[in-house]
Amino acid sequence: MRKILIGSMLAAAAPMGVAAPESYTLDPHHTFVHFGVDHNGFSTIWGRFDRSSGKFTFDRQAGSVVLEVIVETASVTTGDSARGNRPRSRDEHLRSPDFFNATEFPRMTYKSRNAKLNGDVPVEIQGELTLLGVTRPVTLAVDRWKCAPHPVTRRPICGGNAIGGLKRSEFGMKWGIPATGDDVMIRVTFEALKD
Amino acid sequence: MQEWFIHPVVQGAIMPFLAGLIASAFLAPLRLGGLAAVAGFATAVYLVVGFEFSPMTTIRKVMLLGLIAPVIGVAADFAFKPTRYTAPLLALSCGAVSIWVFLALLQQRELAQAVLLGGGVAAYVAWLVGFMVTLRDDSIRAGAASLGLGLGTGVAAVLAASATLGLYAMALGSASGAFLLVQMLAGRRFFAGIAFTLTAGLLAGLLGAASYHLAQLPWHALPVMALLPLAARLPVPAKWPVAGQAVAISGVTLALAAVSCFLVWQASRGSPG
Repeated sequence: MRKILIGSMLAAAAPMGVAAPESYTLDPHHTFVHFGVDHNGFSTIWGRFDRSSGKFTFDRQAGSVVLEVIVETASVTTGDSARGNRPRSRDEHLRSPDFFNATEFPRMTYKSRNAKLNGDVPVEIQGELTLLGVTRPVTLAVDRWKCAPHPVTRRPICGGNAIGGLKRSEFGMKWGIPATGDDVMIRVTFEALKD
Repeated sequence: MQEWFIHPVVQGAIMPFLAGLIASAFLAPLRLGGLAAVAGFATAVYLVVGFEFSPMTTIRKVMLLGLIAPVIGVAADFAFKPTRYTAPLLALSCGAVSIWVFLALLQQRELAQAVLLGGGVAAYVAWLVGFMVTLRDDSIRAGAASLGLGLGTGVAAVLAASATLGLYAMALGSASGAFLLVQMLAGRRFFAGIAFTLTAGLLAGLLGAASYHLAQLPWHALPVMALLPLAARLPVPAKWPVAGQAVAISGVTLALAAVSCFLVWQASRGSPG
């Protein structure tokens, strides 16, 4: 009887002490990858990708985040999609081989297995971006992070922002440098629902 | 100076023209003046993105073949006596190679669509290569055809949203213009050979097809472009001076190229598709 009691107490205590890894799926309606690039030294043009998907697994106990994000390159937009009097708009040009070459490379991916955590809050994601067939390390700093039940559905949700940067020439995207800047700022805003 | 070299007109026209001019003038005595085409193209590649071949993307395959073609051409010009099978053989080979160039794109399509698109590309490239190579013994007609193909494909590619492809093709046209100009100034014909005609036909074919697949070139612009090597056979009096023949034939090829560009421009009117 005593053994059964101790066994039951241990079994009941286990879930409290050892949290299982939690899997989340990015909400495509609230997840966007934004980018900013210098234009002729005058201003910063900001654009974003409208379609992306991905998942991450957050293991608070092990202090790890495993992340994979897929971005559809043809969904790039900079707010300039109307041709007007021009043969092509800027967004069409961005999809061309001069930039994202969206027909040949319809997706870019970001994968990470390394994250720095402050307590149980990720503060830095170290991953690899594959763009135009080239894979290079890209680090994202997480400047906002919150996990809580959704205020309406009560479903567990995590959201936040992350920022980073890259040199597009390192991915073979060299057209227009330096008039259109080589340094690209990245800002990712995301929300993910627990699976 | 650096700002000068990054200007698209310098990259796609002025420097390739100068490279073509130098190659034509200095290599013509060696019967290698036909290398003007690759000189112009290579200059543009160097200035626009540089010579990188990894990963081997579609455009990089075009770059690679553009550099290999003149090597094969020179070998064919000097090591083999051309026969009536030379042009068809090169046309079929280049048509087959074009499938490799666009393989990554074709693999993303349904089988029937891939066969249709791959067949179309192979036919276009084979057609241009075949009919260009038949002009190998007439450097004026070959130069005029390449001038029209290069400039026409270049302008069409820019209108179709790809400046890179446009500059590469314009470089071919500019270098071909230089090849013609040197002959006009010298008042005599040079040897074009397979080195010139294979390079011009293959590059124009692949760059046109790439503009269709990767940018937004409407397909119906390509059949018009395909007429250029035929139009370059326009009969002109043999007693005309070289300059007169070059101007007359180039006028016809450039007019056809302009029609093709007009079709691209017309297709770009309206909302993005």
